Amino acid sequence: MIKRILWYTFSIFIFSCIVSCSEDQADNVLSGKSQKANDAIRFGLVSAPVTLDPLYATDATSSRINRLIYQRLVEFGPDNKPIPGIATWQQLDKQHYRFSLFSLPSMEVSPFHHGKILTAYDVKATYNAVLDKTTASPHRNALKHIERIQVIDEHTIDFHLTRSDPLFPAFLAIGIMPEDLLKMGHPFNQKPIGSGQFKFSHWPFDGQLFLRRQTDQQLFEFLKVKNPTLRVLKLLRGELDLIQNNLPPEHISFLKKESDIQFLTQSGSNYSYLGFNLQDDVTGQVQLRKAIAYALDRDKIIQYALGNAAKKANGFFPSQHWAGARLIAYDYDQIRAVALMSELGYSEKKRLKLTYKTSSDPFRIRIATIIQSQLKDIFIDMDIRSYDWGTFYGDIKKGKFQLYSLTWVGIKTPDVFRNVFHSESLPPSGANRGRLKNHKIDQMIERAEQEQDLTKQAGLYQLLQEELHQILPYVSLWYEDNIAFFRQNIQGYQVSHDGNYDGLSKVNRLSKALEP
Amino acid sequence: MLNYILSRIASACIVIFGVVLIVFMLIHMVPGDPVEVMLGESATAIDREALRHSLGLDQPLWQQFYQFLQGLSHFDLGHSLHSKQAISELIAARIGPTVELALASLLVAFLIAFPLGILAALKKDRLGDAAAMSFSLLGVSIPNFLMGPLLILLFSVLLGWFPVSGKSGLDSLVLPALTLGTALAAVLSRMIRASLLEVLNEDYIRTAKAKGLSRVRIIGLHALRNAMLPVITLIGLQIGALLAGAVITEIVFSWPGLGQLTIESIQKRDYPVVQACILLISTTYVVVNTLTDIVYGLLDPRIRLG
Repeated sequence: MIKRILWYTFSIFIFSCIVSCSEDQADNVLSGKSQKANDAIRFGLVSAPVTLDPLYATDATSSRINRLIYQRLVEFGPDNKPIPGIATWQQLDKQHYRFSLFSLPSMEVSPFHHGKILTAYDVKATYNAVLDKTTASPHRNALKHIERIQVIDEHTIDFHLTRSDPLFPAFLAIGIMPEDLLKMGHPFNQKPIGSGQFKFSHWPFDGQLFLRRQTDQQLFEFLKVKNPTLRVLKLLRGELDLIQNNLPPEHISFLKKESDIQFLTQSGSNYSYLGFNLQDDVTGQVQLRKAIAYALDRDKIIQYALGNAAKKANGFFPSQHWAGARLIAYDYDQIRAVALMSELGYSEKKRLKLTYKTSSDPFRIRIATIIQSQLKDIFIDMDIRSYDWGTFYGDIKKGKFQLYSLTWVGIKTPDVFRNVFHSESLPPSGANRGRLKNHKIDQMIERAEQEQDLTKQAGLYQLLQEELHQILPYVSLWYEDNIAFFRQNIQGYQVSHDGNYDGLSKVNRLSKALEP
Repeated sequence: MLNYILSRIASACIVIFGVVLIVFMLIHMVPGDPVEVMLGESATAIDREALRHSLGLDQPLWQQFYQFLQGLSHFDLGHSLHSKQAISELIAARIGPTVELALASLLVAFLIAFPLGILAALKKDRLGDAAAMSFSLLGVSIPNFLMGPLLILLFSVLLGWFPVSGKSGLDSLVLPALTLGTALAAVLSRMIRASLLEVLNEDYIRTAKAKGLSRVRIIGLHALRNAMLPVITLIGLQIGALLAGAVITEIVFSWPGLGQLTIESIQKRDYPVVQACILLISTTYVVVNTLTDIVYGLLDPRIRLG
């Protein structure tokens, strides 16, 4: 009996192994994947893309991968101003923009991966799909001022708006999808077809995605390895070729010393901040928020907890952003912080208790404990509560918090100020999580929005940021740098300022004979 | 015997329905709205309502549950709220690695537990027993989240024999199977030892010895067979746990199994995927345990008659 059980178990195991191996091989043959997965350049991801459909992609990984698969009308320059992607544009009047697709032989728009030429009809179909209420695209709100879209000819398309908006071109950064497949209801989320430099190859499971570079047919494998230690070990052992960001400081300094590994850094623009509930009796006091701002020794946090891979932030945008303001930092000043707390009536004998909410991410908890330790010196006892992401995010939006910390990722345009600080943007109608209700701020936002000249608009947004810097609905923390580590035989990679993966379009792996 | 089997199947169905109902209620009570997670904060109330409607989340809970059950009757588990992929496809992609890992772990456990348990029972209170039980104690005491990284450090980093993590080939199966298998072997070997010691004191074993049967024959044919009853129950429970997805081990080794899918779906509030995963996990548990009960009944007539 036992012998039989053992024998059956062993047989089933061997059978399942053979079946799974043969399935992999069959898949490869069927999909024409002649290049071995071993030849692929392997890129380590901290999270898998949720969807490869640009209509629905909102998470950072999906957006970055989609950038490789699809082309966009508009890109962003180093100062985050919109620049031509596959089209130039002109503003014919306040509510009318004309986009012309590149048609010169030197700057031709690539065809879609199924062979069809990308035309203005595809652009129209893509944006109509975003605007279609039944699609329920999360990008619809940003484009809701589009009144109608009109194709002039195959290379020219007009956007008519319901109201003037000088920032409008910046919102046209959604990947263009082919009209014919959109009509057919093609499953772009699983089998994306774009016109970008990378063509979808296969997606065995959500943590492993294969794309092929169009120019040289080089295969790329995107592999999710959530644990940073495993990611580092896989890089060291050659199971991964490149990794980027989301590493704790000890891993960063360790990898920097490894002779087999190269690294590149680039200043980032993802903005980390400390948020307050402004409707709370305690955290609603500006003096308290200023005391906290002065009590945080951000230099030390950046040095020791972030491995010097971040820059101190004073506002939403870095100063090199076209709408960024040069603000005077709340530098570490414990004496000033204690004085402010004393004015509020707190002392060593009468300490303040605050609750700080954060996610269950170990790195975020580590930052929270450092902040807790630094605030102890100014008579604040902070109670840290960590929750899984859904619960934490839900609490923040419901206003069930006193203090929290989060990071704004991929913010390019100053329209974010309306979403984050206008009194009409209280959740669920926006991201004014701290419930700021300030008439002056509302007016400043509205005035900036109405300004048609971008230079003047930048000036107005800078004034707004100065005012926000005074009332401190957020205490600015830092902009995390983008840092990539890759093996010695990997060449040509470039790190972008917003952490995208565009550098993969030029990356190459040296053959063994040429390795340094 | 038929009545016994039918009663076991009936109670299994009731348990599965209960689990599905409880999970459905719990997942909808947990804070965090999938629509908010999907659309972000810049969406308007109209967009949110439109999405809620298109996902069917605006319907009363009982109606959502009814539709879920209706889908189940057609073997339609629905679609993921986030990736829009059919859940059956999502699960199909994960079930293979989970089964592979479960079977490999079981094999490792058997290969370690049986020799160890038998050795400990035969060498009771001697060095072999102490060594085997010390190993067993170690296996029980070291949690998988520590055992996994230790094995990675030794076999991947220092010796370079196996991949660090992920599912690439048969070699990538070794470390996760060892991690799960040693923990299971530790429990199994203790059970085999205890059970075997009890049986070895029975009269029929003394009779077998008196008849002059060989030691191998006595242990293999008479003692071990009778000692297997409690061991089978334990194996049944463990198979259920293994097939349900060994979450910690899957996370440590980035193994693309069912456990990881469940955790990721809970984090994303992907209700239909969570429901489907829990349904599959509970069904696996219940089916394996029901089968164990039936096998138990076949092996020991006292049970089915009682």
